[in-house]
Amino acid sequence: MRNTTGMIGLLMVSMIILAAIFAVQISGNDPDYIDPINSRLSPGWGHIMGTDQLGRDMFSRVLYGARQSIYIGVLASLIANLIGTMLGAIAGYLGGKFDTIVMRISELVMTFPQLILVLIFVSILGQGVNNVIFVFAVTGWMTTFRLVRGEFFSLREEAFVEADRAFGFSKPRIIFRHLLPNTISPIVVAFTVNIAIYIIAEAGLSFLGLGVPITTPTWGNLLAAAQSPVVVNEYWWLWVFPALAIVVFVLAVNFIGDGLRDVLDPRQRTLAAKKAWKSALLGRWGSKL
Amino acid sequence: MAFAISALIFFASRLSPIDPINALISPDAASDPANLELLREQLGLNDHIVIQYFTWLKEIATGNFGYSIQSGQAISEILALRMPATLELVLSALVLSTILALTIGLFAGANRGGLADKASRILAVIGIAVPDFFIGLAFLNVFAYNLGWLPTGQRISPGQTSFLDRLPHLILPVATLTVAMLAVLIRYTRNSVLDTLNKDFVKTARSKGVPEWKVLFSHVFRNSLGPVMVILAFRLPLLVGGSILVETVFQWPGIGSTVVSAVSASDFPVIMVISMLIALVILVASFLVDIAKSILDPRVRLGGGAS
Repeated sequence: MRNTTGMIGLLMVSMIILAAIFAVQISGNDPDYIDPINSRLSPGWGHIMGTDQLGRDMFSRVLYGARQSIYIGVLASLIANLIGTMLGAIAGYLGGKFDTIVMRISELVMTFPQLILVLIFVSILGQGVNNVIFVFAVTGWMTTFRLVRGEFFSLREEAFVEADRAFGFSKPRIIFRHLLPNTISPIVVAFTVNIAIYIIAEAGLSFLGLGVPITTPTWGNLLAAAQSPVVVNEYWWLWVFPALAIVVFVLAVNFIGDGLRDVLDPRQRTLAAKKAWKSALLGRWGSKL
Repeated sequence: MAFAISALIFFASRLSPIDPINALISPDAASDPANLELLREQLGLNDHIVIQYFTWLKEIATGNFGYSIQSGQAISEILALRMPATLELVLSALVLSTILALTIGLFAGANRGGLADKASRILAVIGIAVPDFFIGLAFLNVFAYNLGWLPTGQRISPGQTSFLDRLPHLILPVATLTVAMLAVLIRYTRNSVLDTLNKDFVKTARSKGVPEWKVLFSHVFRNSLGPVMVILAFRLPLLVGGSILVETVFQWPGIGSTVVSAVSASDFPVIMVISMLIALVILVASFLVDIAKSILDPRVRLGGGAS
């Protein structure tokens, strides 16, 4: 509770989520209501964020966009973390060949420019909300994987694991019942930070017109209006407000992440732990530093 | 590893439910199945998939990258046309952001709480929270449209060929990419400098009476380059991949925008060649990191200075 940044972040995020849930009540406008007479209104009373080319109220569109963007961010981050945790736990505990192979794959995926990788997947799978979530999860599990793997590497030498083995517990039981609960805090932090990363990624992908189909308002799809030079030049409110929504939300999520990190894992501040993080994040190259 | 990637990309693209033929053929011609069949035969799409893979690999190895489904142009031609633009953009941004980041990061680390440290914090926040294309859009709106100082996009004005005309076109995209790249790099430099400052050899140097600036530059700086090199190496693939979003915002005719149009048209030959190139650069980059490490290693360069 004494963690100010974390609380500010939490407050901001809850406000945005509440606003997204009660979008209709707050804005008083239907996001899909087309009103050609009032098109391209600059921000003012009645439409505090202006209206778009078809006269739709930008404020309610931004609020509706929040629903989809946050949904994509949270779900993609959840799945990516799930994949990363499972692989990291197994690879970290077993080591050996499995570890080497997954580690190589994660290095490869990490070095490949993320957006290009995402685009390759999109070109194979096609567009759509669920495809976007799937692609994000498949291209973004590596950070969590490395984190969890690193934790498991150090944990598996602990005395209580030794005891587990002496008791003859099965490997899955040791990994998931005894070791995993000890690594939950970095996983929670990674989950939070990844939400922010995915929201930005969604914005980029939809900005290109290759993410969520344009009929669904997301923050990225709203920003895609700025593909047209006229919009960039004259109708700034069409892209500045969705972008601001992204910036505020992402900042707030990062505040929460920082706050959680401080609260859950005070060790992280020490130098040794920092180094462990670095090598967890950078892997083979990091360990050579 | 390159083979693994190539096979992966190739088979994945063939498994795709999207048929590139649809994007290629006009609806009129598509109404007659015979036309579709003929086209498939010509493109070699009727062969067994493994045979297709090896044909493709053989062609790549002999320097024949194949043809774009979308435009029918040879892919090598497209690359030759687009690659210089991307190299120009990404290389300038890479060099600029590295110089800036190292300078700011060094001062931020050496003088905690000072001006450079504050600047680095602000830049870090921007780097985390602001999507890079939004920076680009903001730059466009302010400097190109409202102030009218700089052109609004493209690599060169129509009908112009001189270098002097290219330069203004380059400023905004490079600035955008530089800002986007700065944040992470500064943070790494700063932390790395802080780490190094705590090392024993720095204390030794100071107590020997080495001037502070000399301690910073020749002892601390060189020893904190390691992590920075890794980040830079991670970015080398951008040289061939281009920065998709920045290129799109500024209508920059580079590889990034080629990828976008190839993806929207399911132009798999183009996508495959570009991802192969990126994979190759990744291999080269990881090799370069090893070399750079051995050059920068204090035990090699500074002799007894390091602990």
